[in-house]
Amino acid sequence: MSIQYEVEQLADSYGVADSFPKDFGYGEEEADIEDSPAPSDSKPRILLMGLRRSGKSSIQKVVFHKMSPNETLFLESTNKIYKDDISSSSFVNFQIWDFPGQVDFFDPTFDYEMIFRGTGALIFVIDAQDDYVEALGRLHLTVSRAYRVNPEINFEVFIHKVDGLSDDHKIETQRDIHQRANDDLADASLEKLHLSFYLTSIYDHSIFEAFSKVVQKLIPQLPTLENLLNIFISNSGIEKAFLFDVVSKIYIATDSSPVDMQSYELCCDMIDVVIDVSCIYGLREDGSGSAYDKESMAIIKLNNTTVLYLKEVTKFLALVCILREESFERKGLIDYNFHCFRKAIHEVFEVGVSTPRPVGPQAVGSPCNKAVALNGTPRSTV
Amino acid sequence: MNALVALCHFCELHGPRTLFCTEAVHPPSPDLSSQAGVPVPGDRDRDGDREGEGLTMRANSSATQTGEMCEGCRSLPVSHPGFVSIDDETGIRFLSHQHPRQSQLFSVVRQACVRSLSCEVCPGREGPIFFGDEQHGFVFSHTFFIKDSLARGFQRWYSIVMVAMDRIYLINSWPFLLRHLKLTIQSLQSTALKVFDSEQGVFPQRAMRMNSVFSPAVLPHQRNGNAARSLTSLTQHPNLWASLHSSFSWLLKASGSRLTEKLLEGAPTEDTLVLIERQTEQEEEMSCWEGAEGGGSKHHQTESSLSHDFLCDHLNDLPGPKIRSLRHLRQVLGVADFRQLAWHVLMGNQVIWRGADPGLIQSAFTELKSLLPVGCVRSVPYSPQYEEAYKCNFLGLSPDVPIPAHVSSSEFSVLVDVTSEKSCQVSAAGDDDICTMYQFSLRSANTQPTDRGPSLLNKLEVALSNENLSVDVVSHCLLCLKEEWMNKVKVLFKFSKVDGRGREDTQKVLALLGATGPGEEDNVRLLKYWMTGLSKTYKSHLMTAVRGGERSPSQ
Ligand SMILES: Nc1nc2c(ncn2[C@@H]2O[C@H](COP(=O)(O)OP(=O)(O)OP(=O)(O)O)[C@@H](O)[C@H]2O)c(=O)[nH]1
Ligand SMILES: [Mg+2]
Repeated sequence: MSIQYEVEQLADSYGVADSFPKDFGYGEEEADIEDSPAPSDSKPRILLMGLRRSGKSSIQKVVFHKMSPNETLFLESTNKIYKDDISSSSFVNFQIWDFPGQVDFFDPTFDYEMIFRGTGALIFVIDAQDDYVEALGRLHLTVSRAYRVNPEINFEVFIHKVDGLSDDHKIETQRDIHQRANDDLADASLEKLHLSFYLTSIYDHSIFEAFSKVVQKLIPQLPTLENLLNIFISNSGIEKAFLFDVVSKIYIATDSSPVDMQSYELCCDMIDVVIDVSCIYGLREDGSGSAYDKESMAIIKLNNTTVLYLKEVTKFLALVCILREESFERKGLIDYNFHCFRKAIHEVFEVGVSTPRPVGPQAVGSPCNKAVALNGTPRSTV
Repeated sequence: MNALVALCHFCELHGPRTLFCTEAVHPPSPDLSSQAGVPVPGDRDRDGDREGEGLTMRANSSATQTGEMCEGCRSLPVSHPGFVSIDDETGIRFLSHQHPRQSQLFSVVRQACVRSLSCEVCPGREGPIFFGDEQHGFVFSHTFFIKDSLARGFQRWYSIVMVAMDRIYLINSWPFLLRHLKLTIQSLQSTALKVFDSEQGVFPQRAMRMNSVFSPAVLPHQRNGNAARSLTSLTQHPNLWASLHSSFSWLLKASGSRLTEKLLEGAPTEDTLVLIERQTEQEEEMSCWEGAEGGGSKHHQTESSLSHDFLCDHLNDLPGPKIRSLRHLRQVLGVADFRQLAWHVLMGNQVIWRGADPGLIQSAFTELKSLLPVGCVRSVPYSPQYEEAYKCNFLGLSPDVPIPAHVSSSEFSVLVDVTSEKSCQVSAAGDDDICTMYQFSLRSANTQPTDRGPSLLNKLEVALSNENLSVDVVSHCLLCLKEEWMNKVKVLFKFSKVDGRGREDTQKVLALLGATGPGEEDNVRLLKYWMTGLSKTYKSHLMTAVRGGERSPSQ
């Protein structure tokens, strides 16, 4: 290896605040990051924290880099913060920071205030297959410090690796962790600090589902999107509709009917099928083109009279619907309503473009006027 | 040189840890007992307390875990006395153990370790990087992987850091450190690779791990168990730590003797060097004559004439009026004549004063000589006949000495005739009325303009004419101006004489030195003239330094 003698590097190394070199560790993405107009550090962050070997890097790799769960067996332990910016390929316009479990970031070597200040969500991963007493201590320390720096952070606790647990055991574990963590907070009179709990595993869709919820909380337009989806399905005879981030299979919104895991998994699998098929057959001879573009759409009819319908909404987003065969007979109506829905979604995010795109937690729950006006549109056209 | 070298490891269980540390202890060390090389048991016991690295890992870390350490983050057991090597020449001891024994170094190393493994990782992951600050010291760090079939990613992170408070020293040692650390690292890696390959051959880990996932019975509940392996077992190197000790000690010693820091309390000026050289020459000459003629009157004469030249003190004892400063001389001669005269002095022309009062002439010479570097001054204070220009550039003559025609017509000389006003006798009258006592007339065949340059003279005249500046300040100002131009002379000398660059390049250097522009010609003349006044020491130093090339570092 040649001598690394760059002045920049030297300069960078002086300040403690700069102790986190802009190094994302995942080769291919780096070029894209350079292109993004906003300085990547200004994007809200999602932090993955937790004890060593709890599964942080695995989550990040499986959700955002399509790593197969088995490959995570060979991930090395993380030695420094890896910052992953996926906004060039995903609707999820955040940086995901993967922390090393062994390093104490409250050590004066690090500027933890700087870390927490720009943070939207802090995901604390607990290995449910292991004794979690130590993890709970660490959880308490982490969230209480972070809360003091930035009370706006969403605190999310992933009770992870639950694939090895029986259903009863899962419920019991969640109850126990919930109880103890909140007791610790109460003891420290931090009742206002709210923790959300999720049971997750990389071996099924639970990790995608949990990450979806985490991301949704950071999207200010969420109520508008839900509203649009409600109107769309009720006027089109559709049972369930998800707005998906295609790359990560995170759903960023769904209608207000309850989500059951099976239909979510079904939709995830459909995306995989569509992307895989168009990767194989959809690219031009020379390999150019994209597996997902404006023309992307698919219909899958199952033998139980269920129909799956996928259509492109934006560069990163797809709408996936589940409906009965008989509703699908009115495909013309569905397509027309979809056309209006798509237009409305574009307008929602155009507003987002004219105001800075980063969707921070501060704007949650304030649907903009323009979207309210649009809400009427699909109905009047039915 | 104060530095230490440490091997650090990113333990899968415990994060960044210092594994092995070699420090240099200088001879008059209060915390070492008199028995050389035998570690004091008490000392080690104290180190034992620190073993836990509770220092900054609190958080990982209820009190129970403070002492936690696995095979992977241990080099020598606490009971091990450590390694000691003594450098006989300097008496410096090189001590190695898991942690530095000097407690103030403990946190410095700890900090370097954390940063080298968890923050300042070389962009290519393996490789050298430099970081640090005044407070925590500067660090040269080289990160690398060691293969381990049982590690989560089949490899472990290590780094070797060299910590020193002297940034320049470390940066200058970079290529040297890199070259030698690479050798150490490569040998560790290649032995570890052999071990890895043979282990994989017997027991392929990939398949094993895959299988274990699908048979939940053997689900590895191993976050706390499964202690990391030691570097000794990864490399199967029985004398690993001893050999690391010797290579780290060598590195400290070698990089210490490669570069030494010299503190100069004010470097000697060229003037000092020239004076010293003349003095030794003079002493040699004297001993020559002594040998040849057995000493005698000539010897004494030489001695005194030399001290005329350099010390000119006995002439100061002469009665009569004196020139007291350059400003005084300027008043006496008038601004225009002074400018001309000073110009001739600076250009290296011969300056002849002719008059009846040697004391006055001598005092004028003393002031004029101060315009030049000592190396450029050759003077004959007062002579009964003309002396050629190659012998002297300051020449005092008695009133009736004729000037040869080739000299009076030469543009390279200037003559000042000092004549007494008839009405006035040389008396004990005050100095103030030199002007009333004497008349000064200046003559030269020079046709060059003297009012453009050199820049040094322009600046000096500004200082002289500013009455707010005392004589003392002006003389300091002159000293600085001379130093400034002497430095330019050195650059030019190195560039044109030693390197032998062409005209065009030389022109560029002149521009860089700020010698071009108005008065350029005069500046260049001045630089060339002053070059002749450089000390031999300096010239030969430059010649040998350049000719000899870069001396190779001690290897
Ligand atoms: N059974 C099961 N194993 C998992 C799951 N997620 C991760 N793992 C395993 O957990 C181990 C550790 O995963 P990592 O993602 O490297 O852990 P980490 O939290 O990043 O660890 P550090 O980087 O050391 O802090 C790997 O062997 C993964 O295969 C899960 O959902 N279920
Ligand atoms: Mg990790």
